[in-house]
Amino acid sequence: MIALTVSCKKDLDTKPQDEFSDIDTWNDPALIEAFLNGIYRGIDNPADGGDGLLKAEFVDEMHDQWYSFFEFNNSLLTSDNLASWAHEDWNSLYNSIRSCNLFLEKIETAPLEDIIVDDKTLTERMTGEAVFLRAYFYHQLTSLYGGVPLVVKSYQLTDDFSVKRDTYADCIQFISDELDKAAALLPIVQSGGNSGRATRGAALALKSRTLLYAASALHANNPVFSGYSNPELLGYTDGNREQQWEAARDAAKAVIDMGTYGLFKANPATGDSIAQNLVDIFLTKNTEEDIFVRYYVAKSGENNLPLASGPNGYHLYGEDTPSGELVDDFEMADGTPFDWNDPTKATEPYRNRDPRFYAAILYEGVKFKPRPADVVILDPVGVIQVGTWQKWNSATNSMVEVQGLDSRRSPIEDFNGGYTGYYLRKFIDPAADGQFSGQDVPWRYIRYAEILLNYAEACIELNQDAEARIYLNMIRKRAGMPDIIESGNALKARYRNERRVELAFEDHRFYDVRRWLIAPEAYRQFSGVNVLYKLNPDKTTATIPEIKPIVVQNSAWVNKAYFFPVMRDEMNKNAMLIQNPDY
Amino acid sequence: MNFFALCKGHPMNGLLTRTPRALTARTAGCYSATGRSIFLAMKLTAVILLAFSLHLAARTHSQSISFSGRDVSLKRAIAEIKKQTGFLVVYNKELIKNAQRVTVNVHNQPLTDFLDLVLENQQLSYSIKDNNILISYRPVSTSPFNRKPADPVDIPPISGIVREVDGPPLAGVNIQIKGANKGVITDADGRFTIDAPPDAILIISFVGFITREVPVAQGNINILLERESESLNQVVVVGYGTAKKATLTGSVTAIKGAELAKAPSINLSNSLAGRLPGLTAVTRSGEPGQDGSILRIRGSNTLNDNSPLVVVDGIPGRAMERIDPADIESITILKDASAAIYGARAANGVILVTTKRGLTGKPQLTVSLNQGWASPTVIPKMADAATYAQMINEIKLYRQRDPLYTDEMIELYKNGSDPLRYPNTDWFKETFKPYSVQNYANVSVAGGSENVRYMFSVGTKFQDGTYRNSATNYSQVNFRSNIDAKLNKFIRVSFDLAGRQEKRNYPTRSSSVIYSSTLRGKPNVRAYWPNGLPGPDIERGENPVVLATSETGYDRDKTYVLESIGKIDIDIPWVKGLSITGNVSFDKAISNRKLWQKPWNLYYWDGQTLDADNQPVLNKGIRGFAEPRLTQSLMDGGRTMVNTLINYSTTISKEHNIKILAGAERIKGDTMTFSAFRRYFITAAADQLFAGGDLEKDNNGSASVNSRLNYFGRFNYNFSEKYLVEFVFRYDGSYIFPEGKRFGFFPGISLGWRISQEKFWQDHLSFIRDFKIRGSWGQTGNDRISPYQYLASYGFSGVAIFNESVENKALAELRIPNPNVTWEISNQSNIGFDAQFLNGRLSVTADYFSNLRTNILHFRNASVPATSGIVLPRENIGEVINKGFDFEVSYRGQAGALRYTVSVNGGHQKNKIKFWDETPGAPIYQQSTGHPMNSGLYYNATGIFKDQAAVDAYPHWDNARPGDVVFEDVNKDGQLNGLDRVRNDKTDLPTFSGGLSIDLQYRSFYLSVLMQGASGAIRNHYSFSGESGNYFDEDAIGRWTPDNINATKPRTWNYNEEYWMASPNSYWLRNNDYIRLKNVELGYTIPQSVNKRLGIKGSSVYVSGLNLLTFDKLTNWDPETSSSTPYPSSKVLNVGLNVTL
Repeated sequence: MIALTVSCKKDLDTKPQDEFSDIDTWNDPALIEAFLNGIYRGIDNPADGGDGLLKAEFVDEMHDQWYSFFEFNNSLLTSDNLASWAHEDWNSLYNSIRSCNLFLEKIETAPLEDIIVDDKTLTERMTGEAVFLRAYFYHQLTSLYGGVPLVVKSYQLTDDFSVKRDTYADCIQFISDELDKAAALLPIVQSGGNSGRATRGAALALKSRTLLYAASALHANNPVFSGYSNPELLGYTDGNREQQWEAARDAAKAVIDMGTYGLFKANPATGDSIAQNLVDIFLTKNTEEDIFVRYYVAKSGENNLPLASGPNGYHLYGEDTPSGELVDDFEMADGTPFDWNDPTKATEPYRNRDPRFYAAILYEGVKFKPRPADVVILDPVGVIQVGTWQKWNSATNSMVEVQGLDSRRSPIEDFNGGYTGYYLRKFIDPAADGQFSGQDVPWRYIRYAEILLNYAEACIELNQDAEARIYLNMIRKRAGMPDIIESGNALKARYRNERRVELAFEDHRFYDVRRWLIAPEAYRQFSGVNVLYKLNPDKTTATIPEIKPIVVQNSAWVNKAYFFPVMRDEMNKNAMLIQNPDY
Repeated sequence: MNFFALCKGHPMNGLLTRTPRALTARTAGCYSATGRSIFLAMKLTAVILLAFSLHLAARTHSQSISFSGRDVSLKRAIAEIKKQTGFLVVYNKELIKNAQRVTVNVHNQPLTDFLDLVLENQQLSYSIKDNNILISYRPVSTSPFNRKPADPVDIPPISGIVREVDGPPLAGVNIQIKGANKGVITDADGRFTIDAPPDAILIISFVGFITREVPVAQGNINILLERESESLNQVVVVGYGTAKKATLTGSVTAIKGAELAKAPSINLSNSLAGRLPGLTAVTRSGEPGQDGSILRIRGSNTLNDNSPLVVVDGIPGRAMERIDPADIESITILKDASAAIYGARAANGVILVTTKRGLTGKPQLTVSLNQGWASPTVIPKMADAATYAQMINEIKLYRQRDPLYTDEMIELYKNGSDPLRYPNTDWFKETFKPYSVQNYANVSVAGGSENVRYMFSVGTKFQDGTYRNSATNYSQVNFRSNIDAKLNKFIRVSFDLAGRQEKRNYPTRSSSVIYSSTLRGKPNVRAYWPNGLPGPDIERGENPVVLATSETGYDRDKTYVLESIGKIDIDIPWVKGLSITGNVSFDKAISNRKLWQKPWNLYYWDGQTLDADNQPVLNKGIRGFAEPRLTQSLMDGGRTMVNTLINYSTTISKEHNIKILAGAERIKGDTMTFSAFRRYFITAAADQLFAGGDLEKDNNGSASVNSRLNYFGRFNYNFSEKYLVEFVFRYDGSYIFPEGKRFGFFPGISLGWRISQEKFWQDHLSFIRDFKIRGSWGQTGNDRISPYQYLASYGFSGVAIFNESVENKALAELRIPNPNVTWEISNQSNIGFDAQFLNGRLSVTADYFSNLRTNILHFRNASVPATSGIVLPRENIGEVINKGFDFEVSYRGQAGALRYTVSVNGGHQKNKIKFWDETPGAPIYQQSTGHPMNSGLYYNATGIFKDQAAVDAYPHWDNARPGDVVFEDVNKDGQLNGLDRVRNDKTDLPTFSGGLSIDLQYRSFYLSVLMQGASGAIRNHYSFSGESGNYFDEDAIGRWTPDNINATKPRTWNYNEEYWMASPNSYWLRNNDYIRLKNVELGYTIPQSVNKRLGIKGSSVYVSGLNLLTFDKLTNWDPETSSSTPYPSSKVLNVGLNVTL
């Protein structure tokens, strides 16, 4: 018994076999880098499938039928319930921020060799990435919540966790300063195996977005919340708006002036299919337009857009479909607006539209890709069918209705059919069969076109219309669209539409309608189309369908939804927190 | 949406657990390495044991008596035996009433000498077996009945009568001559006649009674049999030893293996429900290979793992579920502080399983064959096609959309005139078969001589899935060999070896997916086309009639378990009562899993095109996977246990009985996992890795180790078996905690007072034969949390992709360390009594307990704000109190030839969270502190809005409309939001469960019935219903419609699109109290005359059943299930045959 005891006591000193200790982790450059990689994974992945994948579904870009989206789009958010919101939020962002804080504390003493890659030492490069990432998370926090507690240290269990919210102005200043710091530490290009990591351009571009948002109406002593006791949490309470716009403009210009980036196929050659160019922006792995991207491999299924957004007639889920509102905002090819009241436009609504429409939207009659084996007999070509065909059955001498394969009355998984009559084309690689796998198309968090638009917006706000038009028309030119020539408010309107169309589904509109204070217009309804191939008097079926706009679902705006609520639990845990207005 | 449910919960309880795909097994309580240090320890133990064995000397076993009395009654003298030796003396009062008084004066006289002395000149003889002395009638030689054998060839037959002690004659008792293949059975009056030589020994055995060996005396023999279960001298297995029931002070309940074997369940854990007071067993699923019951001893006590510790033949952590019931001698549960000897992991109670061992005697071969038919206990009733079509139209109506079906179409669904275009499919009927077979066979041989005893057993089991063309089934083969040998007077050794192979076969989609697609199956879609090809899916290729088969590939798991124990037991010759025991156990489990997934075909019809024979032209679709893929995985685990026990017992001054046990034990375990994956098989013809493509091939592996070291002891003292004291302790070290916090001390003390042994009781209350009150208090520990919470640690979590497609490992912080993490402590108090009335016919046991669990390891996540970003470690912060009672009352009696036993048991418990880290500020009615664990928040559904006026008149959800469920505005603030949710104290585990068992024996027939019930639990009634799935008939009938506005059920809804589907509320909660006929066995013991002709010793045939009848309020669910997509629970009808050779 004694022997048993003596020989065994040290046996209790076991080690975890599938974890790494603190000491191992922070003394091993490979593990340190792996930790940094883990922080990248904390960035919201809009393409991972499941419900509510794109932020487009939380604004007037895409429609989703589930009740929780109804709740969200009717501003029924409460401090207990964020409805379907499945993107970054308070908790997940602070989690990532802790990782950054921890990393920045640990890297100071980490034994890293000073190898120079892309003109930067390993320590500089990795520190820069962590600083950038932390700023990215704070940018997302301030965009949703306004001013938030700026936590810059990693807590231990014994710490006091109570913190108060910093003012919106302080948060923006912090993010902006941090991004300057990151820009100095980061290389201009991350080459080879590092491509995809944050760069100087990414830091400057994020600064541009941050300052643009900050300069916007939502944060400028916003009258919507005039009765709120803590306006400093929601925006600037003093300060010069012109200076803010100038800062935003300069930040965008700094990216442009780097000279590192350009538009993909900026000057389409004659004979190019412009629409195909525009598709390729998103299907190409690496372009000069990319500033900050996320790559995928197909097998992981982390980019699951083909399954989640694909039409039911391909055995896909079709859960989120482009709204009629967005589709209608694509101009005609000649630059005039589309209008259902114009009979020629309404008769063939999908003719002669902005090439970006064809690159972004699947609509009735467009050829997409071959159908799965069991469906191909019903549609050998692979054409989107959301309509109804009235056909004459000579056997029974009566009319029968044949339902489109991608409609909600399809013979194929009708309940997965969309309601709007449109499906997502943008970002979707037709070669990927969503039934069986994901796709490896990268997601662009920041691309150069946004910077050009940011710059144009700031210029417009500063009444520098001519300068704005130059950059706007660069984008128009790439899209094969005629130049914008308007000024003043008309230019502002054209700009806003241009931004909506160019950056459709790219997680921008959600923020834009808020910061421009135009949410009441954006949250009214979701529309779609009814498509009917009528029976002709001669008992043949019409080849051109009758297409009529319909309302699919109503939305409603309540001003409190300009900001997210801090959850009730979090309020209860930290007495120093102040809730956002009207929650 | 949930994509591919590749993973299954894994069956290897105890030894291994499995996490899906990644196979990173982190197994608390698992297995150990055969490192050098173990062998070292084994060697050292062996040396010590050997050292003792070299100094063996003579030691006498006999008990001795000192007594002097003059002209005392025989009764008085006999009572002295009991007092001084602890032996129970059994006799018929009538027998000794007229006995002569005796005068004796002995000092330290051996027991047998004493007996000889006092029985001299009496017409009585005695026999000793174990600790029992049976005094029986011995006719004096002058008896006129006596015929002396004059001639050896003319041996007169021996005749006699067998009675129950204090009871009537027993019919059907087996009388056998020891060492001869010869036996008879008693008649209805308990009489028997047998030809036996005068020196023969008769073995008297009868089910439910203690077997006796009686030397043949001349002439008539009166034999008294004592009931097994009623014997106060019955020995009960307790931690690291056994104890006499009479002197037990803890709350301990035991059951014989024979009782458990009555239930025709393939999984042993499903035989426990209703049998043991205080034990709740709930069968959540009937899926072969995954059908283990959730076991709770006295309910739930902690916010963590509440499962009890299972100890099989002394080895903690072994799995119980797959043990062959024929191998089980007994199961004991330790409910209170008596579990403290297993201190560290005993906080949730302990289940001790003891397997059978050989008895001295000729080899006895027993064959048991069982064939059963299982069918689902309940199959949901779904809406028919016409109703479904009507309801879909209602969805459209409520959303202002065009109806999908015309009245003519609905009529066609209703009248069934065009089943091709307008079918009415019952998906459950198409998917599930009416019954599936199961069988179970066991052959065992047991016997032994004075020096070697053995028990060998082999068994097989098979259980088919309940689907048509089922890919699901479970099969098992097992063996067990328990050998005991006596090397010499002082040394005994034993070696036990048991092994089994468990094979689990499943389709590639989980039972939950199959059930859910059956629930969702639209009644207006065909399951099969007329030519037999399968019809369309719901989505993702999910047509349940195909998913349940091997068409999609397979998921097969073969698990091998090998368990061994070697034991040496040495009586130390020079210290009377001292013995030392060494145990070495090595267990091994290996599991191989092969998941072969391949595309399958479904057939679609465009609804119109017909061929020349007017048959639909079908299109073949490839569903599920693009190409075949294979995942193979291996898990390998081992556990070594070494312990040494020292036992000492003595009696001082004849009254002070002392027993001491001390021990040390070390357990080490390890597991490793390994897996490999390939896809892009060019053909499904070869389901082996080599045939897979090279692209995207993948492999993975992980490992874990664990280690525990304990010291424990028990001290028993009793004064004349009247005043009883027991103290147990364990000093336990666990690898889970940091050095310094690693060891915990867990004491338990229990006291008993057998008031019935007091003189005043015997004088005034002798109708209560035995009455004992017991009380106990103790502390036990629980360490069932993830290990290493004291270490800051990091783990890989996915990959980050850079350079377009290069996968880079990503590391994440797993937790911040809690350097103070230590044991969770259970403070257990128990008070109870055991009583026997009516000469032991009626026995009552009842216990009240209060368990206060402190130091519960839980997260401080309710008070640490999210801004900290911390992944919290577990901290010792929670407190839960759990109080309740359990009882058992049993009565046995006889009416004519009918003998019966009726017994009722039950247990009630209710837990309450005293403290955990609850977010401050929640309204009182939402707080969970002060409420049972795992209780949920629900809106109160108070009715249905009959019309718009009703909606307008009451606070309502923003888009509420007539036909919606009314939620109560609980806080009366005029609006509905999260604050209107109320905590519901009920959970999915019952608070009361109990059983009523009735055993009847009428001549050769016996009937055993177990009714079992539970109450206090709730479940959710929920389905995918809507455009994507069918409705329960229950929800369709009487629903709100514009024509039925006074309905008590809501309108048609679409999946979770309505607030009252999306938000948990009381409308969907269902009470699942139930009483069920859990178990029945009706048997017939075949007469010996028949057996004789067949050349066998004994045989019986029986019919048995499981879950044959259920009384509850649920229409679509089995009351023991909690999932909304459960694998159906089984009711089983079984026929069986037992033959003894």
